[in-house]
Amino acid sequence: MESFAGRWPGTTRAGSMRRNPAAPWRHVDLLLLGSVVCIALIGTLMVFSSTRGAEPGVADTSILERHLTFLAAGGTVMALVTMADYRRFRDWAPIFYIGVCALLLGVVSPLGSEVNGAQAWFQLGPIQLQPSEFAKIAVILGLASLGAHFGNDIDVRRLAVLLTVPGIPLVLIMLQPDPGTAIVMVALTMGILVVAGVRAKHIAALSLVGLTAVVGLLSSGFLEDYQKDRLTVFLNPSAGLQAEAYNLNQSKIAIGSGGVLGKGLFNGTQTQLDIVPEQHTDFIFTAVGEELGFVGAATLLVLFAIVVWRVWRIAQLSRDQLGVLLCVGVLSMLVFQIFQNAGMTMGIMPITGIPLPFVSYGGSSTIALFAGVGLVQSVHMRRFT
Amino acid sequence: MSQRIESPRLRLGVLGIVAIALFVALFARLWYLQVLSSESYLEAAEANRIRIVQVEAPRGRILDRDGTVVVDNRVSIVVTVDRVRFADLEEPERMDMLRRLADELTRYGSPATVDQLIDRVNDQRYSRYAPVPVAEDVTEELKIYIEEHEALFPSVAVERVAVRRYPFGTRAAHVIGYVGEINDEELEERQNKPKTYIRGNQIGKTGIERIYEDDLRGMPGQTAFEVDANGDPVRILEDLSTPPIPGDDVWLTIDIETQALAEDLLAQALEDARNRRVSANNLPNRGNAGSVVVTDPRNGEVLAMASFPVYDPGDFINGISSKEYEYLTSKEADAPILNRAIQGEYAPGSTFKLFTGMAAMASGLRTPDQTINDTGAFTIEGCRGEQCRFRNAGSKAYGIVDMRRAMTVSSDVYFYSIGADFWDARGRLGEEALQEVVRRFGFDQETGVPLPSEQDGRLPTPQQRKEQYDANPGLFAERNWYTGDNVNMAIGQGDVAVTPLQLANGYATFANGGTRYAPNIALKVTRSGSPETVKRSFEPRINGRVDIDPTQRQAMIDGLVGVTTREGGTATSTFSDFPNDTFPVAGKTGTAQVNGKADTALFAAFGPAQDPRFQVTIVLEESGFGGTAAAPVARALFDVFAGVAPMPEIQPGGALVEPPPADGEVEPGTDLESPASRLDQIAEGGAD
Repeated sequence: MESFAGRWPGTTRAGSMRRNPAAPWRHVDLLLLGSVVCIALIGTLMVFSSTRGAEPGVADTSILERHLTFLAAGGTVMALVTMADYRRFRDWAPIFYIGVCALLLGVVSPLGSEVNGAQAWFQLGPIQLQPSEFAKIAVILGLASLGAHFGNDIDVRRLAVLLTVPGIPLVLIMLQPDPGTAIVMVALTMGILVVAGVRAKHIAALSLVGLTAVVGLLSSGFLEDYQKDRLTVFLNPSAGLQAEAYNLNQSKIAIGSGGVLGKGLFNGTQTQLDIVPEQHTDFIFTAVGEELGFVGAATLLVLFAIVVWRVWRIAQLSRDQLGVLLCVGVLSMLVFQIFQNAGMTMGIMPITGIPLPFVSYGGSSTIALFAGVGLVQSVHMRRFT
Repeated sequence: MSQRIESPRLRLGVLGIVAIALFVALFARLWYLQVLSSESYLEAAEANRIRIVQVEAPRGRILDRDGTVVVDNRVSIVVTVDRVRFADLEEPERMDMLRRLADELTRYGSPATVDQLIDRVNDQRYSRYAPVPVAEDVTEELKIYIEEHEALFPSVAVERVAVRRYPFGTRAAHVIGYVGEINDEELEERQNKPKTYIRGNQIGKTGIERIYEDDLRGMPGQTAFEVDANGDPVRILEDLSTPPIPGDDVWLTIDIETQALAEDLLAQALEDARNRRVSANNLPNRGNAGSVVVTDPRNGEVLAMASFPVYDPGDFINGISSKEYEYLTSKEADAPILNRAIQGEYAPGSTFKLFTGMAAMASGLRTPDQTINDTGAFTIEGCRGEQCRFRNAGSKAYGIVDMRRAMTVSSDVYFYSIGADFWDARGRLGEEALQEVVRRFGFDQETGVPLPSEQDGRLPTPQQRKEQYDANPGLFAERNWYTGDNVNMAIGQGDVAVTPLQLANGYATFANGGTRYAPNIALKVTRSGSPETVKRSFEPRINGRVDIDPTQRQAMIDGLVGVTTREGGTATSTFSDFPNDTFPVAGKTGTAQVNGKADTALFAAFGPAQDPRFQVTIVLEESGFGGTAAAPVARALFDVFAGVAPMPEIQPGGALVEPPPADGEVEPGTDLESPASRLDQIAEGGAD
């Protein structure tokens, strides 16, 4: 502990850590950290359960191993971000932002790879990189920095400047097209704008524009038919493309059939027989619901609620607007992704390709989300310095 | 300034409330799915993962009354073609495949041509849903070859199927019936049976196979597979899988040796009839069809039920072609599919006199001793012209006859007068007095034997004639009933029709003193592999009783025994060296006239007369005199029943042989000849 603490930035300057009650390392939010770790553990179990294969006696651990690697990478990134003073990110934000935009531009160029109809990945040997996941963090950093710079007085001109920050990556993401990530981007932008002090009438106007955009998007030829169906099938599960209605129905069956106590780990028939599609990624909540039941799924939601509460509380406790807005960005992203992802598996939200934070398999998403938690921790730890 | 600080806090609060609302929505939805509607989702999940495949159970066996296996099962290897996949094949691949298949079938000992295969694939008698069998009973080697060269034979499959096996060939075919693929109608009818049916299953179509279907059919098992999203089996779910349970065994009342003997005698008698010279003014005997029924008068059990011509139930294995089926039902082939014992309707001729006589005595029109003078012809009183004169066969005059003698010599005149008297007494007895008594012996109605498609015969009445005429005035010549109609009916002519089993049952009812049983054809049902476990047993079923005065009965028996024993009896010469003292046979010959055909020869008998244990009825179409053609069959059977001749032994395949002598040594020089050939040694009797 001593040697570890000794590497914290700032602590060395202050000499002995024991004597400095404001030392950042003393203010790590253990509840936030513990909850995220618990969620990641549940996620690891469920990723394993849904990818271990149906062969009795022999378990396929290849996906599990990759998932653990992603978690390790995510944890490392979280630790690094936590150690850095969040105020220094203000300086790094433009560089990070420009880099991510360049990657997004690259991914829609022939350099990117197409998976499931969306050109959203770079294939780097065995690793798939999804720049849009990092774009969310870049936008949070950019908006929070700019918002803090503007203070609470945001007029139309400043609003327009703020909107260009998510605007550029949003356009690039829609070119992939990846409506799920785009909606998350919109959600976290709205969250930051609300708290940053954008006037209520502007917020209302923006919401109207957003709604029009969604309707326009659905009625335009911009999205593939299957993407439109995925987005609208939850409104009318008996209509739509057969496959989408089928997937949604199987997803609900998986969760519903879990009952109160669940079928037991590795015993979910929908999960083990691969009846639900994309189960280790976007539909992992169905595995939780089926195998761990209401008890397990509700526990997971409670853990998420604790994480969200802690992030909200840290925003409240933050000593400056930058900290508030960073937390609000992460909060909005988390809340929206959780609601959107779990809601879609239960048939109350459209089907979009958004991962369940800390649970779904996926490298870029895991790393980006842990980085987000790191940001929040950094804000919390430095509320006195 | 305070507003500036308050504002972000307020806005953060709004964000918090939004977050809480969203989480509440998730919890609510989760509660709804997992707690409130969990049950229906659980059902859906089960249905998702499980595919159930029905496994047919072996069908029960059919045994004779001693437990000899008459029908069981064997495995047949069948080559099938899936029509849907076959239709999807492109030319020339389709023809190439057929050519290869025909070559391989031929090479492996099941010769076939491409044309034959095409005919089979296109044959409409096969269900559209199941693969079409194109070759049956192919060798194991061919199965292996085709399976190893799967790619060369698209749409072709080789399967093992359980099919019926008939160890005695065509023996008792009409009683047993046959099985075939279930049709839409049967499937509909049997939807709620515990032993479930699916398309392609076998079901009893006729005979015992049909009537005892519920016993014979095994309980299909099921194999439950857990399947993945593609429907591919992942593993077998033992908990949900059940093994098939073989069907139960049905024991017949039939004795297979007696049955086979009756069949051989029937075929031989018909052949003899065909070869018999007839006088120029008679139509030649075609001897084309007939029936022999043997029952036990004490309980109504059917010991043998033969029908000619026969068909081979083995032809129905793996399905029968439309052409073959058409042949089996065609008039030209005398419809071998018919079980004439219950489906053939014949004028009973003089065999009917038993019932006319009993009716006359019961109604007081005659006493046993009352005599008339038989001058060879009978004239209806007050009627003039040829249509009022009724003659004996051959215009023979029998002189003074009472009831006994009239039966023995078969005096038509005696019974003509009874018929006329019944009509004359209609004011007192009613118009249908004769029919009413006859009906009590089981005529004009089904006997109730548990076999399908039984006919009920005909017993015309004045009332019926009126109704028929009024319904179709152009179709019937006559609306009124005349004395002559009664006269004709009295000797079993004039549109009276009976089935051989009805006639047998009528004689059995008389023989046992008046108890009319519904004939039984099955004894019991036992569990497969456990002959001691009786699941059902079929007790004698009493269908009615006839009050018979013992004196009248004795007089009638005397007359019937006279038929086989007394001077002038119509079958006396046939029974000349029979042990009449110890085993007297009471019988009656019949020679029924049929328009445009040679006479139907009949003989109905029971014995021993004092304590009847066997009732034998023979009906031979277009075969001449009953005494000549039919009585020898009864004689040969009674030889065995009386112990004069040994019961022959049945060989695999169904052939009968004389059993070796009791001491085990075959006398040198004696051939093991067909028991039926003994018919030739039995002296042929006189007239009717």
